[in-house]
Amino acid sequence: MRRVNLYHDKRAQWAVYVVFFGILAIIPLSMDDPFTMNQYSRYGVFAMLALSVSLVWGFGGILSLGQGIAFGMAAYGMGATMQMQYQDPVNDPIPSFMLTNELEVLPTIWEPFWHTHLGLILAIGIPVLFFVIFGILMFQARIAGAFVAIMTLAMLGAWYNMAYDMQPYTAGFNGISPPSAFVAFGVEVDPYSNLIYWVSLGVLCVLTLATKALLQTKFGTIVQAIRDDPERARFLGYNVAYYQIVLFALAGLIAALAGLVWVMITQFVSPTSLDIFFSITMVIWAAVGGRMSLFGAIFGAMFINAAQSYVGDEFQATWFIILGAVFIIVVRFAPKGLAGLFEYVFGFIPYRVRGTSGARGDAHSASE
Amino acid sequence: MKISRRTFVTGTVAAAAGVAAGFPHIYMKDFGQAWGAKPWIKKDGNIKVGMLWSQTGNLSVVENDSTQVSLFAVDILNGRGGIAGKEIEPVVVDAKSDIKVYSEKATQLILRDRCVSVHGSYTSASRRAVMPIFMKWDHLYYYPTCYEGRECMQNIINTGPLANQHSFDLVPYMVKNFGPKVYLVGSNYIWPKESNKNVKVWLERAGGEVVGEDYIPLGGSEFSPVFNKVRQQEPDWIMSTVVGDSDIALHRQFLQEGFKSDKMPIAALTTGEIETAAMGNEAGAGHFLSAPYFQTLPNPVNEKFVNDYLGSKYGGGGVTHYNMEETYLGILIWAKGVERALEHTGGDWEAITPRMIRDVSGNWNGQGPVGLSDEESPEGKVWIDPDNFNIWLKPKIGQCGSDGQFTIVKEADEHVFPDPFSIYPERGVCKADGLHKPDGTVQKDVL
Amino acid sequence: MSVHDFWTPFALEPFINALIIGLSLASIWLVAALGLTIIYGTMGVINMAHGEFIMLGAYSAWVMQFFIGIPWLLCLPLSFFIVGGFGWLVERGLIRHLYDRPLDTLLATWGVSLVLVQSVRLIFGGEPQYIDVPDELSTVMNLGFIHIPWMRIFIFFVSLGLVAMTLAILFKTNMGIQIRAVMQNKEMAASFGINSKRVYGLAFAFGAGLAGISGAMFSGLKTIFPDMGLGYVVEAFLVVVTGGGEVLGSLATAGIMGELFSVFSYFTNDTFGRFVLFVLIVIFLRFRPQGIFTPSMARR
Repeated sequence: MRRVNLYHDKRAQWAVYVVFFGILAIIPLSMDDPFTMNQYSRYGVFAMLALSVSLVWGFGGILSLGQGIAFGMAAYGMGATMQMQYQDPVNDPIPSFMLTNELEVLPTIWEPFWHTHLGLILAIGIPVLFFVIFGILMFQARIAGAFVAIMTLAMLGAWYNMAYDMQPYTAGFNGISPPSAFVAFGVEVDPYSNLIYWVSLGVLCVLTLATKALLQTKFGTIVQAIRDDPERARFLGYNVAYYQIVLFALAGLIAALAGLVWVMITQFVSPTSLDIFFSITMVIWAAVGGRMSLFGAIFGAMFINAAQSYVGDEFQATWFIILGAVFIIVVRFAPKGLAGLFEYVFGFIPYRVRGTSGARGDAHSASE
Repeated sequence: MKISRRTFVTGTVAAAAGVAAGFPHIYMKDFGQAWGAKPWIKKDGNIKVGMLWSQTGNLSVVENDSTQVSLFAVDILNGRGGIAGKEIEPVVVDAKSDIKVYSEKATQLILRDRCVSVHGSYTSASRRAVMPIFMKWDHLYYYPTCYEGRECMQNIINTGPLANQHSFDLVPYMVKNFGPKVYLVGSNYIWPKESNKNVKVWLERAGGEVVGEDYIPLGGSEFSPVFNKVRQQEPDWIMSTVVGDSDIALHRQFLQEGFKSDKMPIAALTTGEIETAAMGNEAGAGHFLSAPYFQTLPNPVNEKFVNDYLGSKYGGGGVTHYNMEETYLGILIWAKGVERALEHTGGDWEAITPRMIRDVSGNWNGQGPVGLSDEESPEGKVWIDPDNFNIWLKPKIGQCGSDGQFTIVKEADEHVFPDPFSIYPERGVCKADGLHKPDGTVQKDVL
Repeated sequence: MSVHDFWTPFALEPFINALIIGLSLASIWLVAALGLTIIYGTMGVINMAHGEFIMLGAYSAWVMQFFIGIPWLLCLPLSFFIVGGFGWLVERGLIRHLYDRPLDTLLATWGVSLVLVQSVRLIFGGEPQYIDVPDELSTVMNLGFIHIPWMRIFIFFVSLGLVAMTLAILFKTNMGIQIRAVMQNKEMAASFGINSKRVYGLAFAFGAGLAGISGAMFSGLKTIFPDMGLGYVVEAFLVVVTGGGEVLGSLATAGIMGELFSVFSYFTNDTFGRFVLFVLIVIFLRFRPQGIFTPSMARR
């Protein structure tokens, strides 16, 4: 018998996930409120973004301030797909905003978006491909730490400017708002239905569980080893850059899926999805919830956004001060966020496991 | 531990899928019907109207005033006994200058607070972000700011000038008084570009020419590269569609670069009383503005509006402004629409729908479109176009004096038709039910 | 968009003017980045609140002029001390506890910036403000076809002066020697009796003070508003990181970046110029992450 922290018990962790998603899954059964469904779906997207930050930063040690790049690229891809679903190939082949910019024919880069499937593939594929290339560029050169943060930030700024400036293709500051809801396989994904909630929650659930499972594989262990000491991992013969690139691309994939779902919900995409402020806010969510815990990050995103929706109006002007102050306090005193607090509290619960399984659990996910 | 990780994951996903698949009636249920059936105005309740502006963040500089003047207008209406004896209840939310929050709050105002109409926003981006929501719920949005047009939606009423109304008088006036050569400077987004297209149309008729055109990012404050080109091209005047903070930087640097407003004035579409106060009167003096409203408009209705507003608890900002006045008109026009809708339903409040308010604001029952008379509107008589639901108004040209207030140098002789497709006649004509295309088809919700 | 609309054809005189504007931009970025260079170079701290320190400098100059009536030129040094003092407090209260966690300082200072922006907006309102500069600075110097506002010339020389002052402090004073010692090896310096905590605190305060003076100076050229910091801080970061956290590196980088940006935006437009600049920097950092001058050394 060995005394361990219940927090690190993998069975308990999985149980928490099942209970959490189980409860979320049955919320619509007791509700008949399109507003709440729409709002909760938005929280689901924010949770995906926090998940991607937690994966790349909490577990990979790569502070990316550029998760918005994948989010925004996918959002534009999805916006284009939905816009072209609305356009008519014969009578109305060109989105209205392009007329301002004197485009007579649909630009070639918009052509593929006539086909919904191709559009979806591009919306996900392009950001992931970009993250792979960008990752190769950075991690092959062994760039780490604050430099990654600055480089991702600069890249985000570049794309923001690009989305802004390429007005014939992106509508610039005004953004693209597809007038009708997304239709896939003959089903309309009404942004005010239970269906959108299921889609958002379903994507979040699958992504979270897949990430959780991934982190418990050998890959996950190596990635965490690299986070703790890249030099040592390199000396042990691991190709550090390879793991970092894959991890970075996976985080990009999660953020891209978030962007996809986001446009389904809001029917709007503009350069603000590439805003620097937004990308750093994702980091806040993950940090407050606990970046070293997927569950913590998800919870942080949902908690802060719910607070902004429901408490924010009472505090009006002081909301950003509160948010900033909470963030400072978390970084200063509780770098593991709320999850760290739980870890601490759970340490007091007497809990014993038999034999090797507990020991293995300890060694495996010391951080979770 | 008997259950392996893999079976666990598979099991969880399968369970989730099973839950989803097992209750198809839940996720396929059509909310729209259940929600549309409830009354928007309850017999024993107030008339709820949404106010969607930012009280925090960078847009709050303008939108705070919009909120205040809307509340002022609601107070006036309630002081007169509301609409047909029913009190108006404004629901104010804070959009925090964040597009995501605009979209969330619009949903809240429609679905949770069940407002019968919503007034709001200052930027095209936030308008376009919320419009799909209004279209989805067949609701009604009042947008009070000048915009580019080229839209034909069935759930919006605009009370600000369109691109074709702004430059209509301004360009011939400037060409006549200062000369034909003009340099166009704008913020880099659609409204300035669309406005400048209109400017070019009018410039051609007035015999002027464009010697240069530049767009700088929204929020940008570095104009020396632009002034470098201006100095080279030597225009007779500058046409500015620069907005916000950048506008202030433009005028300040104009002075520092040694230009003089009597030699080469800036003619602007948005540099009003608020902007002039922020840039300093010496930087604003001598330049021109085309707007439907100025604080100094010499008529008793405006004098009363200015005095009442500045004397009320809402008037802390100290100025009135074209955008505020357009917002104010929006509330009054909305109230008239609700009155008509009540008449239309024969006094049944619960039968009024947002869309009905819009429909009766047009050419209803032989009464012509909703409008405001010279006795009601500070800028003089205005009315809603019954086809495209933009506003008929008289643009005016003001020149800024050294006290930061404008002198009206020209007022249009007649009201100008708001034409959202003025430079795209080949696209069709915007009517109440949609865009009537040249081939005879009608397209709804052209966004 | 036709090709001709996009590209401005080359002409000698405006091109030379564009080069001069590039120098002016470079001096603005340099002075915005100088304080950050000290802070980053000494402690490896990425100070995300630097833009807000600049904003505080601008607001303190505005408050001193608008409410007390202090002439603008005098506001510059006063802003240095006000913001420097504030920076010292931030260092004592927050940064000091995070030196072993460099990424966390980045995040914590971002929290500081969030609080500062909204506090200033609450206190002074969100309206843009401006400041009166001496009349002599509101005119233009004309040399043939070259026209430069005196204000920009003033900023150019003040920024060079500040660089010279910073270098003098770093290389000629006792304090500077201590700072450089701590920069090179904190533990070794401590073993020689240098109080590294005090050095860090002073270096941070000095960097913040430089931000304050630059903010006060920009207030004469541009608009003062709560979000103004964002307009400077991104370029400032790029200057610092590309320059490798050294004063001379920042000087060179700011010069190159200013000229590149000015030339690009002369031929194309402002937004596109910015895009090209960002991408070039990312590519540059790929090959020389240690910065422009720093010899290849152990990676941080």
